[in-house]
Amino acid sequence: MSMATKDIYVPGQRICQLDENIICGQGTYDKNGFVYSSRAGYLHKLQSQDGKILFEVRTNVETTTVPSIDALVTARITNVTPRFCKCAILSVGRTLLRETFRGQIRKEDVRATEKDKVEMYKCFRPGDIVVARVISLGDAQSYVLSTAENELGVVIATSEAGSTMVPISWCKMQCPKSLAEEFRKVAKVQPQFIQYSGT
Amino acid sequence: MAGIELLSDQGFRIDGRKPKELRRIQCRLGVFKQADGSAYIEQGNTKVLAAVYGPHETAGGRGKALHDKVLVNCQYSMATFSTGERKRRPRGDRKSKEMTMHLQQTFNAAIMTSLYPRSQIDIYVEVLQSDGGNYCASVNAATLALIDAGIPMKDYVCACSASFVKDCPIVDINYLEESSGGPELIVATLPKSSQIVFLEMNSRLHEDNLSKVLDVAVKGTKDVYQVLDNAVRDHISEVAAFHKLDQS
Repeated sequence: MSMATKDIYVPGQRICQLDENIICGQGTYDKNGFVYSSRAGYLHKLQSQDGKILFEVRTNVETTTVPSIDALVTARITNVTPRFCKCAILSVGRTLLRETFRGQIRKEDVRATEKDKVEMYKCFRPGDIVVARVISLGDAQSYVLSTAENELGVVIATSEAGSTMVPISWCKMQCPKSLAEEFRKVAKVQPQFIQYSGT
Repeated sequence: MAGIELLSDQGFRIDGRKPKELRRIQCRLGVFKQADGSAYIEQGNTKVLAAVYGPHETAGGRGKALHDKVLVNCQYSMATFSTGERKRRPRGDRKSKEMTMHLQQTFNAAIMTSLYPRSQIDIYVEVLQSDGGNYCASVNAATLALIDAGIPMKDYVCACSASFVKDCPIVDINYLEESSGGPELIVATLPKSSQIVFLEMNSRLHEDNLSKVLDVAVKGTKDVYQVLDNAVRDHISEVAAFHKLDQS
């Protein structure tokens, strides 16, 4: 449930007094027991499950985000090696990024079971679209992602014949044209189980 | 400078202003489509464009990235045609580099940097016409551009300059008053909380007069704030109205 107020809030403007029923969301911050706006836009009051009110100041244009730990991201595989694969993070949660961030999936983070028997070439190919979770901000180079959940893995992949493949098992996809089967770490897409945390 | 009377006996300045009067400020938000946020400001004859990009992945390798906060990258440049005498280098000279550093310090204090770790925000400032108060106009333009980009800030940052002539503090000084050899005090504040984020003084000023000059400069930043605030509110409601039209 969202409630937008008529008033425009600007950075540094005091919204109200902070109490235990208020959570400072995006576009707000608390200082000295008061809630302030940190953006120019309209105030939205969102009712959360535990009876608290989430305050957010939203602008008209979509604002950029950066990947955070535990966030669900959508990424395109760019490079596969025996130890890890590199990818470009396209979106964080439901927000599309304007520019991609670098990420990598290590061999031991591909699936939850039989980690040592993972063969990267049988899990990902360049160009695949995967859903993954950020497990750490990683070293200086890239974010570390994981697909070690049933709901995570490859969601869109094209076959060698060039058409979009359909999943036939948790580790195989089939091309509808050539009927060739290819190995992938397939995501079992079940929207009800996916938690969009960190967005 | 001999011969030029900065403050007449009637109490008027060269350009006809009273000592505590600002120059006319006109500003616009969202002047570029390509940038994430942009703004244009005119303070009298000083004209400045600002563009903001980001937050995005740190450019030039991850070596520069900060693991706990965003890197604020500024670039200040003056158009070659901005001054009376044509400039040779628009950026990279000592003065521009110093200005870049000052802008960076100012906005590091105002942007909520911890929200975007390991990424970068670029602020590009271009002075199109220079008539004194370049730093002030640059800060004000960059503030508007950051707001337009939706980057979380603690508050607006407003800057204003002041000088001291004939026992009288004068606010928002122009090029002639700046180059006359008198003291120049530049201050940038977070106007809502009256916190000073940047303070610089050139030339000499007696200690007894410092608080007087500082007071008018801080008052100037609050006046600037009113103008910027009106511009931001107008812009937000305009864009919101446009979005409603778009949806219906």
